[in-house]
Amino acid sequence: MTHPLEQLRDDALREIEAASDEQALEAARVKYLGKSGSISAWGEQMKTLTKEEKPVIGKLLNEVRNAVTAAIDTRNAQFRLQKESGALARIDISLPGTPHEIGALHPLTQMWERSIEIFRRMGFALADGPDIEDEWHCFDALNTPPEHPARNEQDTFYLPDGRLLRTHTSTVQIRTMQAAPPPIRVIAPGAAYRRDELDATHSPQFHQIEGLYVDENVSVADLKGALEFFMLELFGSETEVQFRPHFFPFTEPSLEVYVKSKALKGGERWIEVAGSGVVHPAVFEQVNKARGDKAYDPEKWSGYAFGLGMDRLAMILFDIPDIRLFAQNDLRFLRQFA
Amino acid sequence: MKFSVNWLREFVDLPENPEEIADLLTRAGVETQNIETRGAKIDKVIVSQITASSRHPNADRLTVCEVDDGSGTKRQIVCGATNYKVGDKIPLALPGAKLPNGTEIRKNKLRGVESDGMLCSAIELGLGSDAAGLLILSPEAKIGAPIGDLFPADTILDVEITPNRGDLLSHFGLAREIAALTEKKLKSTARESKIPVKKTGVTIASTHECPFFSARKIDNVTVGPSPQWLRAKIESVGTRSINNIVDISNFIMLELGQPTHAFDANKLKGGINVRLARDGEQFLALDGKTYSLKSDSCVVADQERAVGIGGVMGGEETAVTDSTKNILLEAAYFLPASIRRTARELGLPSDASYRFERGVDPEMVLRASQRATELIQEIAGGTPAKEITVAGKLPANPADVSFRYEKCDRVIGIAIKPKTVDEVLTRFGLKKISAAEITKWKIPSYRRDLQRDVDLIEEVVRAYGAERIPGTDRSRFTPSSAADRAHNLESQMRERLVAAGLNEVRTSKLLPGERFAFGEKAIELRNPLSEDHVALRPSLLPGLLGVLDHNIRAGAERVAIFETGRVFEPPSGAEQKRVAILLWGNVGGEVHWRNEKRRVDFFDLKGAIELTRTGLSFRRDQHDKFALAVKITADNQRVGLAGQLTNSLASTIDASGGVFVAEVSLDFPIGGLGSHATFRELGKFPAISRDIAMIVAEDLTHERIWEVIWHPTEPLLERVEFFDLFAGTEIGEGKKSLAYRLTYRDRSRTLTSEEVNAVHAKIRERLRSDLGAELRE
Repeated sequence: MTHPLEQLRDDALREIEAASDEQALEAARVKYLGKSGSISAWGEQMKTLTKEEKPVIGKLLNEVRNAVTAAIDTRNAQFRLQKESGALARIDISLPGTPHEIGALHPLTQMWERSIEIFRRMGFALADGPDIEDEWHCFDALNTPPEHPARNEQDTFYLPDGRLLRTHTSTVQIRTMQAAPPPIRVIAPGAAYRRDELDATHSPQFHQIEGLYVDENVSVADLKGALEFFMLELFGSETEVQFRPHFFPFTEPSLEVYVKSKALKGGERWIEVAGSGVVHPAVFEQVNKARGDKAYDPEKWSGYAFGLGMDRLAMILFDIPDIRLFAQNDLRFLRQFA
Repeated sequence: MKFSVNWLREFVDLPENPEEIADLLTRAGVETQNIETRGAKIDKVIVSQITASSRHPNADRLTVCEVDDGSGTKRQIVCGATNYKVGDKIPLALPGAKLPNGTEIRKNKLRGVESDGMLCSAIELGLGSDAAGLLILSPEAKIGAPIGDLFPADTILDVEITPNRGDLLSHFGLAREIAALTEKKLKSTARESKIPVKKTGVTIASTHECPFFSARKIDNVTVGPSPQWLRAKIESVGTRSINNIVDISNFIMLELGQPTHAFDANKLKGGINVRLARDGEQFLALDGKTYSLKSDSCVVADQERAVGIGGVMGGEETAVTDSTKNILLEAAYFLPASIRRTARELGLPSDASYRFERGVDPEMVLRASQRATELIQEIAGGTPAKEITVAGKLPANPADVSFRYEKCDRVIGIAIKPKTVDEVLTRFGLKKISAAEITKWKIPSYRRDLQRDVDLIEEVVRAYGAERIPGTDRSRFTPSSAADRAHNLESQMRERLVAAGLNEVRTSKLLPGERFAFGEKAIELRNPLSEDHVALRPSLLPGLLGVLDHNIRAGAERVAIFETGRVFEPPSGAEQKRVAILLWGNVGGEVHWRNEKRRVDFFDLKGAIELTRTGLSFRRDQHDKFALAVKITADNQRVGLAGQLTNSLASTIDASGGVFVAEVSLDFPIGGLGSHATFRELGKFPAISRDIAMIVAEDLTHERIWEVIWHPTEPLLERVEFFDLFAGTEIGEGKKSLAYRLTYRDRSRTLTSEEVNAVHAKIRERLRSDLGAELRE
């Protein structure tokens, strides 16, 4: 049998649930829990109960009161939320978010940063050298004798005082070895210059990363391992890397590096991306002469060196058709790489 | 250089597929850049002879030819070319022929005149690139014979020969290389010459530049067109046929690599003397141009004048012509460096100089002379002198090279059996002359590039195959360098500027002359190539203005850019790293409903500059290109410049509204690894803030107010923020209103309102008394 208190509770909960607004809810509260509310009235009646009834009914009264109070609170919270969100309901959340314009790094910078990151993972430190060089650092020290075809006014920019703009970043190899004994493990990003007419694939100023590793027993196999790792990191694990014998005055043996990758546009054929080789002993001899010691004894130390064309790599990676776009700096171009 | 596969096959057996040859060479470092199929395996193209020619009645540019095709009846052909004469033999495409370019020949009418076939040019038959006119065939060609008989099918390889491999600049030389790489035997070699020599009649005054010279007189030759086989052969690799004597000389060079030259002996005045040119000596060369020689150039001279620039080009006056009867055949050895200098100075590279520069085989000089003599006898008749006249000495053989197998393994990175190494080197023509622990190898005369053990190791790599050497993973711990730290700082700065909405640009370090908008001096190149690249940039700003210019033209409405990079300070060329910023147009990105819509101003620029490095101060400055010029200093050193360009400068690039630029040096001391931020305790006790609003004279600077607030230091004052600036008529002429929020805090306890009021009042009083500020309550 249902106790009248339980009946009261059920009635109260129904009314609270049905209350359409705050006024109706308040009326219900007064009706049941107000000073002379029907549930409150039971508090007075307690005095009239027997000793046996008192604890049972007292407990029940408490439960009923709590249940009704909780229901009123919940309903109240619902009314408050309805009111608050009602004001926000009219906002068109499909409108665009507040723009935070972020600029773009130049694609060549991105190419450089990516390359440097990979080489750092392989334990290379950075090295640096000037753009304006003397003939010794650019040519003689790199086993390129005075009558060599590259050493002329046709191919190299000269300053009035006889200095020149370096034709490759290999000059940093020499400067690094002059400054410190082996072992050496460095990369040098930088600009280089050749007297080329500007067209879609040539620019008088271009960009390279030079690499040099001198240690005991450095071999062609070590060179291959390093550049293979680099190319796979850069172009993806699908990439194939090929080394073809070539000729550079400052390395022997010399190898040109080619890559092929389905992931690249036009990557079905081999693309030349770097020159490399084992440092020519004549280079060590020149460095020793300049240092005035035997720090780079070709019988004790060997090394590999490489030069990567950044413009070319960026053109391949980002599918950029014309080298002139780099120096033009059209914002529509730059923003594509943001 | 272009190589004919047919020609190569005369010396060595080759794989059937030319791609295979190309691949083999490329993998051995002799890169094949192009493969071209040649030959006239074209049906219905035959040798014909033009027997008559007349003007086309209806077209000025056309002629009507009567042609003998060997069938007995003449054909009428309409033709647009003009380079023929009646009697010439020309390839004729008969109706039904299909040319390599896809053209199908039909009998048709051209401007009303019937044409029964087509006379062809070389390009139409896929026989070369000469499209200038009809292909004139040798007079010996048999009328009616298929054209394929004259031009057998061939493959032409375009091969890049690296400058160290002069020995590969001939068909014989490349065949020798292929034989070594494929372990095949050379089928034939130029025969040893056992011709008697005499040492009178030729003298060498410049023995350094020309160590060896030989000449052979051949009398009573008949100069005329070359036989078809000779023409076809030299033309297949891109050499024009001139006459039989000249063609033979070129043929010998293409076959054996040794340039030779034939003089008209009757035009020589006395014996040959090889000497240095006189400074300014004038010389009319075979190309019809007159060259002014320098005293370091070697010339071949008779007793009166120079008749050839040694190793570069012969002279016009003594050239072989149709009327030449007697010739003198030169074959010599010139010093590579001397030839290179001369060819470069004169701007006159030739096929001969190209080979001499790279070094010809001394052992081939007389063999080539002998082979040329034999061919001349065979083709042009004549009687050669019994002896070759020689002077000087051929260079000694290359020095022997020592070699250790152990080092070979060390450099390559894998162990290669000594037997394999020996086989490779022997195939390349080397001879092991000592088998001690350090072996010794005799180098063939044609491989002067093999000078050290590493050169031999490279031969092993080439023959063994680079692809068979496995890559190894070899790393090394490397401490970071100063360049690493500088790079990181620069990268972080770039990231900050990019995050602030600026785009990074990279402009050329070579500037055009007229870009010097700021009147800077710059180092100019001694030998610029174009007007766009004349000088080394002394500043990044000209480059940024160029980018602004380009983008305004491209329709940009807002340009916010920066560049970091090197500049070159004149006159020393000292290289400095700088960052430059340029702002123009509206704040924020494209048009957007949430954007603040206003033009950029100086404070946008200043905020961007302050992202580049800390501790900068800004002072007013004067500059004739800046309407607002600001000097930037750090530690009292001038480190940069900022401001707004004058309208007259901005208008040169159509930039309406203010253009704001700044340039700051990035060459400042960079801390070591130890330089980094350290923790400061977080304030546990509540802070109390008080605002001060004041009206001051317009010319009183924020910096001055700031100083007065902070000095003398109040220990409880934690932070000061500037948050409002206002000027207007309400405040009064020549005045402005500024507002600051001062925050007070003690690290060890909660402050009382009274304590703060006391300190705050002190500061307010300072502002009033020191600056005359009118404080608002």
